Amino acid sequence: MSQLHLSDEILMAFADGELDEPVASAVEQAMLADPTVTRRIADFLRSRRLTRSAFSRERLPEVSPELRAAVQAQIDAFAGTDDPPAKPETPVGVHRQRRDTWFSLNGALAASVAALAIASASYFVGQHQALPTRPASLVAQLDDAPVQDALSTVASGKDVTLPLGRMRVISTYRLANGSLCREFRLQGSAGAAAAVACRNGDWNVTFAMAGPEGDAAYTPSSGGDLVTAYLQDAGAGEPLVDAAETKALAESSR
Amino acid sequence: MPAAIGQDLVALLPRLRRFALVLCRSPSLADDLVQGACERALANAESWTPGTRFDAWMFRILRNHWIDHLRRLKAEGMTEDVTTHRQLMGDPGEGPLLSKLALTEVQRAIEQLPHEQREVLVLVCVEDLAYREAAEVLGVPLGTVMSRLARARKRLVELTVAA
Repeated sequence: MSQLHLSDEILMAFADGELDEPVASAVEQAMLADPTVTRRIADFLRSRRLTRSAFSRERLPEVSPELRAAVQAQIDAFAGTDDPPAKPETPVGVHRQRRDTWFSLNGALAASVAALAIASASYFVGQHQALPTRPASLVAQLDDAPVQDALSTVASGKDVTLPLGRMRVISTYRLANGSLCREFRLQGSAGAAAAVACRNGDWNVTFAMAGPEGDAAYTPSSGGDLVTAYLQDAGAGEPLVDAAETKALAESSR
Repeated sequence: MPAAIGQDLVALLPRLRRFALVLCRSPSLADDLVQGACERALANAESWTPGTRFDAWMFRILRNHWIDHLRRLKAEGMTEDVTTHRQLMGDPGEGPLLSKLALTEVQRAIEQLPHEQREVLVLVCVEDLAYREAAEVLGVPLGTVMSRLARARKRLVELTVAA
């Protein structure tokens, strides 16, 4: 696999969690060895996030009452000729199963999938009404207000208990571009996640990986390396500690 | 069976309409397409396999309906009000993820993509379809989905350096 040609399609599939083993592992290795690979994958994650933002739930087009009524009339018309309706199994289960499969994968693949899940956070929240049985995954909540608050206030190394689980901020970095970023972990009933968030007004999660429920991914073996690789690629220097961290957090919140 | 999918259909209307707007860019035509697709779906409800993705099935019906519409229209030429589809994206204001300026830039970039790239981009990145599911909706091979999608996303990144 050392000769694997990392085409755009392969890296995109990796970013989208669509790559099977052993190619996924090969990409994972390449990612650790070559920052440009990480950057290309990050670009694919970014394009997905951007697209989703442009089409976010707030911008779902209005369905006019006329259209809604017309469709309802069609449904009623068909229902009139129908046997007593038996609600079919919704497709939600299938979708969820696919995601669960992803989440059981290790390391970088899970990382990329999780990063996507972040990109899709607004979507999943947005779909709650339509698909009420879909659970909000942990990564979908990494942008939530309690996490935001904790990122702004909690010192590195400290654990806090949030509604969605236990959170620990690992460290704080100043990137080459000046932005302030924090690496943190989250362990909740919906699973475990390791992530990096950078402050730009709010905290935006820029990188994350998730694991299944339990402690498996709370301290991901290869996962930690990937976060480190990501931070190095982003130009993070030494972590800010103690007073330097406090000062940086205070300044960034102004 | 038709009644059984009715509820799912109603819940899906906003996303159907959004995809219809991606396809045709005309709010009034989008409504017609959605309504026509719903009718087809209800009439063929038994062809949906419970346990598979209902949304993907509907997107395929909607898109096929759109293609039929285009074929019928071909002789006459496009007469629809291809107005601005600002409604598709709405007013920017996402907040935490993107600034207004950046979002406008992204929207413009997506607009500039070729149609076949835009539809696959939306199906995969917005509607969360797997590549294979998108391939089924679009009626193209998996490899085509991947190459179109990769090109769209690389272009998007190039066009939105600042976003």
